[in-house]
Amino acid sequence: MQGGTLIYLEQQAHTNLYSPAGGFYPNGGILNQITDKLTYQNPETLEIEPWIAESWTVNTDATEYTFKIRKGVTFSDGTPLDAAAVAKNYDTFGRGNKDLKLPVSEVINNYDRSEVIDPLTVKFYFRKPSPGFLQGTSVIGSGLVSLSTLALPYEALGDATKIIGSGPFVVAGETLGRELTLKVRADYNWGPAKLEHQGRAYLDAIKYVVTPEDSVRIGALLAGQADIIRQIQAYDEKQVEDEGYLIYAPSTRGVNNSVVFRPDNALVSDVRVRRALLHATDTDEIVSTLFSPHYPKATSIIAKTALGYVDLSSKLTYDLDKAKALLDEAGWKPGPNGLRQKDGKVLELSAYESLPQPQNKETLQLVSQQWGRIGVKLNVLTADSGSATVNNLDPAKAPVSPAMVGRADPDVIKSQYYPTNRNVLLQKGGNSDKVQAFVDDRLNALLDKVASEPDHGKRLAIAGEVQNYVIDQAYAIPIFEEPQAFAAAPYVKGVAFEAVGRPSFYGTWLAPRR
Amino acid sequence: MVRYVTGRVGQAALVLWAAFTVSFILLQALPGDAILIKFLNPELGLGPAQIAEIRASYGADNPLVVQYVHALTNFLTGRFGYSIHAGVPVSDLIAANLAPTLWLASLGFLVAVILALVLAAISALTPFSWLRSFIQSIPSLFVSTPVFWLGIVLIQIFSFQLRLISVINPGPWEAFILPVLTLAVPISAPLAQVLMRNVDDVLTEPFVAVARAKGASHRQVVWRHVAKNAVLPTLTIGGILFGELLAGAVVTEAVFGLNGIGGLTQQAVNNQDIAVLQALVVFSAFAFVVINLAVDLLYPVFDPRLKARTGAVA
Repeated sequence: MQGGTLIYLEQQAHTNLYSPAGGFYPNGGILNQITDKLTYQNPETLEIEPWIAESWTVNTDATEYTFKIRKGVTFSDGTPLDAAAVAKNYDTFGRGNKDLKLPVSEVINNYDRSEVIDPLTVKFYFRKPSPGFLQGTSVIGSGLVSLSTLALPYEALGDATKIIGSGPFVVAGETLGRELTLKVRADYNWGPAKLEHQGRAYLDAIKYVVTPEDSVRIGALLAGQADIIRQIQAYDEKQVEDEGYLIYAPSTRGVNNSVVFRPDNALVSDVRVRRALLHATDTDEIVSTLFSPHYPKATSIIAKTALGYVDLSSKLTYDLDKAKALLDEAGWKPGPNGLRQKDGKVLELSAYESLPQPQNKETLQLVSQQWGRIGVKLNVLTADSGSATVNNLDPAKAPVSPAMVGRADPDVIKSQYYPTNRNVLLQKGGNSDKVQAFVDDRLNALLDKVASEPDHGKRLAIAGEVQNYVIDQAYAIPIFEEPQAFAAAPYVKGVAFEAVGRPSFYGTWLAPRR
Repeated sequence: MVRYVTGRVGQAALVLWAAFTVSFILLQALPGDAILIKFLNPELGLGPAQIAEIRASYGADNPLVVQYVHALTNFLTGRFGYSIHAGVPVSDLIAANLAPTLWLASLGFLVAVILALVLAAISALTPFSWLRSFIQSIPSLFVSTPVFWLGIVLIQIFSFQLRLISVINPGPWEAFILPVLTLAVPISAPLAQVLMRNVDDVLTEPFVAVARAKGASHRQVVWRHVAKNAVLPTLTIGGILFGELLAGAVVTEAVFGLNGIGGLTQQAVNNQDIAVLQALVVFSAFAFVVINLAVDLLYPVFDPRLKARTGAVA
């Protein structure tokens, strides 16, 4: 079982490998092999299990966390991974470092400080209850790195060879933008405690090759030049499966691939208009036309496999009559060209395509066709990244927007909607200075509670409340549960994925090829 | 000669400065900037306060004049800065991409020149008019072949079907075979066309008639008298094409997953990675200036009449 080099084809080159930037899949695919985390989230049960931390305690209001660190763990530069190193990592992720331009981590909220109690015990203090922190220690953005890596400025962390972790693989070399080689760490002996496989990884090495063109990645896999590839579109799946190759489509377990509204724009400020558009969206048609069974139809704003999920399919029905009635009621009447009008204004909306989302342009175009059936026009726009980023922050220019984010904790809902986080609805007080007035205090209060309720049961109940509220307000139209799609040769065994779909090659081995 | 070269070097410096300044102004005029694109990106999920802090630490909101002077002085002292998008020094990025581009461009150009010469030679020397008109229509076919399509077809046939060449872990030479072919086809087209047209034109000149009257064969006329005269305009076109190749063969690089200046430029434009773009613009301008200078200096070698003008006689 031991030995061999895995050839992994990536669609895009990695960017900055600062751990909190690991959310970008090309980055996460590398960081997940070279860094360990304090805790391990079991991808099936979503339970938090020991990894670098042997055990932990949390006080009742979730403001103090104490972790006992496993003995004998070292970074690949030989320095110890002890309480002091963990403390330094979290001080950086929790507070950022202005001098080095290191930004704070999205998953760590209300961080105050750390305290090294003894060489193997570290304690973290929070200014407010932070029940999401324990799960936050297991995510890709919390990969532990050595003090020498943390001493580097942000601009230098795009060089993979500078990222010193304690993981089962070590960066052996890279050609920027083209290739990256990891080699096994023979003395690795601190994998997640509950995993069946322990000790060093089976593979000797992993070679990442950036291959942007879809047909070349797939062709190379089928021709035996590669072992596993990331990013395969739904329409290519059949071709691969017919050859006896495997599709892996782990769920991203977070906020579903959706379109959201920016109610600051008067055209969509009326909840009846938003509801009409929700009922005019035929998600079954989108999923069956553009996607595959690996892309389940959404039944809430978060995935079925996400924590705190409630089934809202009864509120997400496709119903054209209801949609038309709602628009009539809101005063939008069909005009001479078939488009709905009110007070001389036409119900014409725009959305910018999101490049990282699978077939997003096609999805939006299909939504546009469907909305056309009730006399609403949706323009699907494409632009350079700069214009798209700027215009997408302006509710007047982008009253509709595609949105999704993956993370297996209810905090993810807050991340997505809260004004000072991702702010997808564009509320006032967030990342956009173009917003006139729109704020939903009730939503924000609920989101605050999700992020701060220490009682697990109550927290999940509030998460359910938020899902209901967002759908009742029709702020979002969830479309499908987004997977990360990989294809692998049949002889590649033991491919695993963390809770949000990043591959882990720790237990991967190569069976003899036929 | 010395004065001529000094003058040209002075012009070159001016061109480089202008390229730097104009690109700086144009990049600033674009909506958004690298920091906005990088940090508003969902991969980090940062809030507005954090982004404001980052902007301040990069000096992104300083007055433009301050930013310009800062960028220019850094540039003149050889500090090209960091790529905000990739998180590595710009010099490392260019180093990683320059060598493959030089190889690809040189080999592609060489093969294109050979192709063009072969086509032109056949067209000039063949006694069959059907063959000549067939050969003369090839450049139009070549120039209208989409590089993207050609690259994928070549990969599908030679790598995936016949399995002769590996695209994923190729040897150092293996890596260049298909991309060079892909690149040479469209580049050879304008070269061949200009060459053929010039050969036809020169063949009608009076001195050709004189040569023929003295008893030279068609082959001798073409090789001794026509070829040298027909090559001058081709040299100019060749210089421009080679410059374009150095500035990047984006599509070829993307299809074959090669590193290169073209792909780097495209990425930098997409992310408005100003430090990288400025370095690339100046680099490309430099490449054009050097190649044009080389072409101008080559002219007198082919055409003695031009020697006086460049002062090469003295």
